[in-house]
Amino acid sequence: MNKFIVTLLLGLALSSGVYAGELVKMKGKTQGRTNHEFIYQDGCQGCHQGSGKKNATDSACVECHGEINSIPVDESMLAIPEAHPHKSLHYNQGASCLACHGEHEKKAPVCAECHRTWFGEM
Amino acid sequence: MHNRRNFLKLSAGAAIGGMAAALPSTSLAKECQAIKWDESHDVIIVGSGFAGLSAALNTKRQGIKSVLVLEKMQVIGGNSAINGGWLAIPKNPIQLAQGIEDDSPEELVKDQIISGRGMQNEAALRQIANRALDAYELCIGTGVKFRDSFNIQVGGHNKARAIRTQHGTGGDITTKLYEAGVREGVEYRLQHYIEDFIMDGQEIVGVKVRKNYHFPDITTGSTIYIKANKAVILANGGFARNMKLREVVDPSLDPTLDCTNALGATGEVTLTAMAHGALPVHMNLIQTGHWGSPDEGGFGWSNALLSIGWHQGAAISVLNGKRFMDERADRKTCSEAIMKNRYPDNSPAYPIVLFNYEKYKDDDRVVRALRDKMAWKLDSLDEIASKFNIPAAELKRTINEYNGHVSARKDPLFNRKMDTAEVLTGPFVVSRIWPKVHYCMGGLKTDLAARVIDGRSMSPIKKLYAIGEVTGGIHGEARLSSTSCLECLAMGIVVSETIKSDAQA
Ligand SMILES: Cc1cc2nc3c(=O)[nH]c(=O)nc-3n(C[C@H](O)[C@H](O)[C@H](O)COP(=O)(O)OP(=O)(O)OC[C@H]3O[C@@H](n4cnc5c(N)ncnc54)[C@H](O)[C@@H]3O)c2cc1C
Repeated sequence: MNKFIVTLLLGLALSSGVYAGELVKMKGKTQGRTNHEFIYQDGCQGCHQGSGKKNATDSACVECHGEINSIPVDESMLAIPEAHPHKSLHYNQGASCLACHGEHEKKAPVCAECHRTWFGEM
Repeated sequence: MHNRRNFLKLSAGAAIGGMAAALPSTSLAKECQAIKWDESHDVIIVGSGFAGLSAALNTKRQGIKSVLVLEKMQVIGGNSAINGGWLAIPKNPIQLAQGIEDDSPEELVKDQIISGRGMQNEAALRQIANRALDAYELCIGTGVKFRDSFNIQVGGHNKARAIRTQHGTGGDITTKLYEAGVREGVEYRLQHYIEDFIMDGQEIVGVKVRKNYHFPDITTGSTIYIKANKAVILANGGFARNMKLREVVDPSLDPTLDCTNALGATGEVTLTAMAHGALPVHMNLIQTGHWGSPDEGGFGWSNALLSIGWHQGAAISVLNGKRFMDERADRKTCSEAIMKNRYPDNSPAYPIVLFNYEKYKDDDRVVRALRDKMAWKLDSLDEIASKFNIPAAELKRTINEYNGHVSARKDPLFNRKMDTAEVLTGPFVVSRIWPKVHYCMGGLKTDLAARVIDGRSMSPIKKLYAIGEVTGGIHGEARLSSTSCLECLAMGIVVSETIKSDAQA
C-alpha cells in the first residue's frame, strides 16, 4: 500500500500542475487533499468517528501510509539533515500525523513553533 | 445527554466531598458509583515529559500492571522534548574520567542552596541529588547517548558536572524513554486532555478526560471517565505559557514577553488540583531569560549567540543609538533594563546586540543564527542604522565612545567588566533581544515521597502524586540550569517506589 501511494504521488506530481496533496474544494464547502478524493466518496466516517468535532486520529493515515518512521521524505529538500520531520530528534515515533498535517486546511508543522525558517506550510 | 447527567451527579459528589468529614462515608461512595467509568487503570500519569515518562517506565518496572500516560498535545514530550539536553550528574563517569573527584551530591545541593536564596527545600534537593546516578543509569539503560568526553561547568555550579545529550536536545532522552515504555507495556495516548479530577473526599479516584482533544480548542473531542485503581501522577509541567496566570502571580511579567516553553505549558491541571485542595507554593517565582530573540520561536539560538554578544560586543537601544546596561549583569537586572526600551505606544523597541563577524564567522553559534535568520551579517554601522531604524550619527558616536572604553578596559557608563570586550570594527553580527519567560519554580506542594499535600489538612491527598515542574517549593528563588532534567528523572524513580509502598499499605 505504502509503495503504491508513493508511486501515485510521483505520477501525479509529474503529470499535472496540481500536486498530490494540494488543497481543493472537495465536498460542499469542505476543502480536502486531491490525493484523498477516493476517501471522500465514502463520507467523513473514514477519518472522523461521529460528528465533525470528534477529531480524526492517526489510524486512518497509518492504514494507507504506514507508521511515521517508515514514510519516506525527500531528504534533498531538508534545510539540514537533522530537520527530518519523520525522524525528528525531538519526537521521532512519538508524534501524531496531525501535529504537522491538516486535511482540510494548510497547517504549519509543529517544528515551526521554534524553527520558524525551516518548515513551510503543509 | 448521558455524559451531562453524569457530570451533574459528579459535581454534587465533588461538592459533598469538600465536607467529607461531616458525612457518613457511604453516601459519598454512592455518589461516586454514579459515575460510569469508561475504563480503569492502575496508574494514570498526566503528561509525557521527563517526569511522566520516567514515572511511567519506573512504575511499570515496579511490577504494576496497567500504566496509562495521557498527553493532551499531538506529540510526546512537552518542554522536555525541546529542552537543551543538559543534565547535572555529580560523580558521572565522564566527570570522573576528567579527574574531577571532589564532586558529590552534597556539593550540588550546596550550589542549589545559594541560588535558592533561602527559599529552597534542602531535603528535597538532597534526595534528588542522591538519585542522580540512578537517573543517569535510567538514561543509559534505555539507550540515551551523551556527548563523548563532554562534561562542563555551567552557570551557578561550582564543579563541572553537566553532561549533554548527543544532539543537544532533551528529545534524545524523551524519545528513548518513550520507546522503552512502549516495549515494556506502558500505554500512551495523545490528544487526551485532563479536564477534572474525580474525588472521594481527600482521595482521588479517577479523572475526567477529553479524548481526541485538539489543542487549544477546549470544545473538541468527547468526555470520558477513567478510573485510577492505585494512583494518579501529575506530571503536567509548568505554566509559563498561561499569560493570565503568570501575570496574576507576577505582575512584572509583561505580556510582551514571549516564552521559551512548548505551547502546552498552560497549567490547567495545577489549577484543577488547587481547586480540589492541593496547596500551591511559590507561584510567583518565575524565571525569565534576558537572552531571548524576538526573531525565533521558543528557546532558539539566541542564548548561545549572546554568550559571544554579552562578552565581546555591545547592546544598543534602537530608540537613541545608545548603550543602556551592563551587558554582563545578571538575568533580572538585564531583563528590567531591556524592557524599558519601548515606543510611545508601549510596544517593544527591541534592542540590538552587535559583535565582530570575522573572528567568529565559523563558530557554530554564528553559523546557525545567520542560517536561521535570527541574526544578520551587516558590513557597516550605516547598514545597521538603516535596517533597525536607529539614528545613524548617534550609533556611530556610541560605538566610537565604546571602543575607547574597550581600549581603556573600563566602562564609566555602566561599570561593565571589560576584560573580554573587543573593539568593534565590522563587519558585524547583529541580533535583536527581548526577554522570555522560561521556568516556573512554583507549583504544587508535595512531601518528599511525591504525595500532593492538601492545604486544608496539611496531609497528603490519597493516591495523588506530583513530580517535575508542576511541583513547587523545591528550587526556591532560582533554579540552576541542568537541574530540572535531573529532578524529573529522579522523581520518576522516587514516585514509583512510593506508589508501590502506598499500594501495599
Ligand atoms: C527550551 C527549554 C530548554 C531547557 N533546557 C534545559 C536543560 O538543558 N536542562 C534542564 O535541566 N532543564 C532545561 N529546561 C527546563 C526543563 O526542560 C523543564 O523544566 C522540564 O522539561 C519539565 O519537565 P516535566 O516533565 O515536568 O514537564 P514537561 O516536559 O513540560 O511535560 C508536561 C506535559 O504535560 C502535558 N500536559 C499539560 N497539561 C495537560 C493536560 N491538561 N492534560 C494532559 N496533558 C497535559 C503537556 O502537554 C506536556 O507534554 C529547559 C526548558 C525549556 C523550555
